[in-house]
Amino acid sequence: MIAAWVRGRAGAGSGLLALGACALLVAGAGAVHGAMKERLARPPVDELLYYPSGLLVRQASLGYESAAADVAWLRGIQYYGEHRLTDQKYEMIGHVMSIVTDLDPRFLQPYIFGALVLAQELKRTDEGLALLEKGMRANPDSWLLAFETGFIHYVCRHDYEAASRYFARASRLPGHPEYVDRFAAFATQRSGNEGMAILLWKRVLATGNKYTQDVAARELRRLGAEEGTR
Amino acid sequence: MSRVLAIARNTVREVVRERMVLVLAIFGVALVAASQVFSPLAMGEGRKIVTDFGLAGSTVLATMLTIFLGSSLLHKELDRRTIYAVMAKPIRRADFLLGKFAGLWATTALLLAGMTGIVLAVVTISYHETPWVVLGALVLTLAELAVVTAIVIFFSAFTTPALTAFFTVATVVAGHFAEDLHYFGGQGGSAAVAGITEAIYWALPHLALFNARGLVAHGIAVEPERLLFALAYGALYATASLIAAGAIFERREFR
Repeated sequence: MIAAWVRGRAGAGSGLLALGACALLVAGAGAVHGAMKERLARPPVDELLYYPSGLLVRQASLGYESAAADVAWLRGIQYYGEHRLTDQKYEMIGHVMSIVTDLDPRFLQPYIFGALVLAQELKRTDEGLALLEKGMRANPDSWLLAFETGFIHYVCRHDYEAASRYFARASRLPGHPEYVDRFAAFATQRSGNEGMAILLWKRVLATGNKYTQDVAARELRRLGAEEGTR
Repeated sequence: MSRVLAIARNTVREVVRERMVLVLAIFGVALVAASQVFSPLAMGEGRKIVTDFGLAGSTVLATMLTIFLGSSLLHKELDRRTIYAVMAKPIRRADFLLGKFAGLWATTALLLAGMTGIVLAVVTISYHETPWVVLGALVLTLAELAVVTAIVIFFSAFTTPALTAFFTVATVVAGHFAEDLHYFGGQGGSAAVAGITEAIYWALPHLALFNARGLVAHGIAVEPERLLFALAYGALYATASLIAAGAIFERREFR
């Protein structure tokens, strides 16, 4: 009986020891998590980017939000392609691109493509610029988003001062190609010049995807600069 | 230590017998097919999409295998009564569990590394650029798998395979909502509710710490500081789960 009591006490002792060790380790893990959250915290603006439409999709993706963004991107491209061949109504494109960018704020193409379709095809320039502004808040170092914002200001809104400001901003950001400096200089010298718009559309023709190249070719034909377009 | 390794080796052999190579082959074929189908549709974003899908697919597969293979590991030993032969030897029950953990983790880690190798090869061949940054995401996912494996071992120490799988999936899913739970718990509820949600928040695994898939898909390397923090968190959490599992398993009566 005494032996059983001693065994029982020993068992209870080791149980308490295990419990104490668990508590200590979980507390340690918590401290590491707290320190990590503090040190690697994203700017608060990222949190707001997920509201309202992307929040549920983001939560439902259970950590696979980047792959979910790809699925939404592919769906958005299909949506645009289908409607381009039929009724040319792309009412939901802004919503789809907003969800894509809520899920993956670093994914730049949805901002650029969505803004171009909204501003150029649907004539909803403010919404297009808002999408690009959202992109610039999430990716403040992206010269491409600043450049595209300048582009939309120049060719869609004809706000040459704003365009010049954004081209200049793009030319100050890291990784920008040489042509950004040229556009930044041209924009201040040649505000409202059609030649500048032609140069900008030619750049889309040279660097854009299949759909944006089609839009650029159409605009170049309209401006009487068909050379080099299909 | 040698006893733990012997059990781990046996566990690896046991798990490998479940035709793991078939999983690798299916994954490879699926990824190559996906890269061919999605690249033309992705409007120049094919590389990102193949990397994303490849990393997401490999993580889902490895996590599912960990849960479903792990949930029956201990039960099989009890069912076949092989555990009596093991326990008759001078081996502690905690070492037995540790061996099971090490064996299962090593196998799924090997599988995950194989799948990541396939992702690297497919992206390199298709886009003529090797995305070495995915290795950072691999290290983090290996740590995540260690945490999930430890959770499976913890639940399997006291319940049936079906319930082990259910509890583990529930814990992993709830871990993704931990931040929301914490937020809502602190919003105007009673002190008791706030205390309970706070306790659940800290007890749940914060698996989002190990998720760098979205980052590396954009070609951004995982910061060494983040790697260090996540590995430390994973090591502490997995060790805590295994100690708890060991303490429960010590008291379990075999019938």
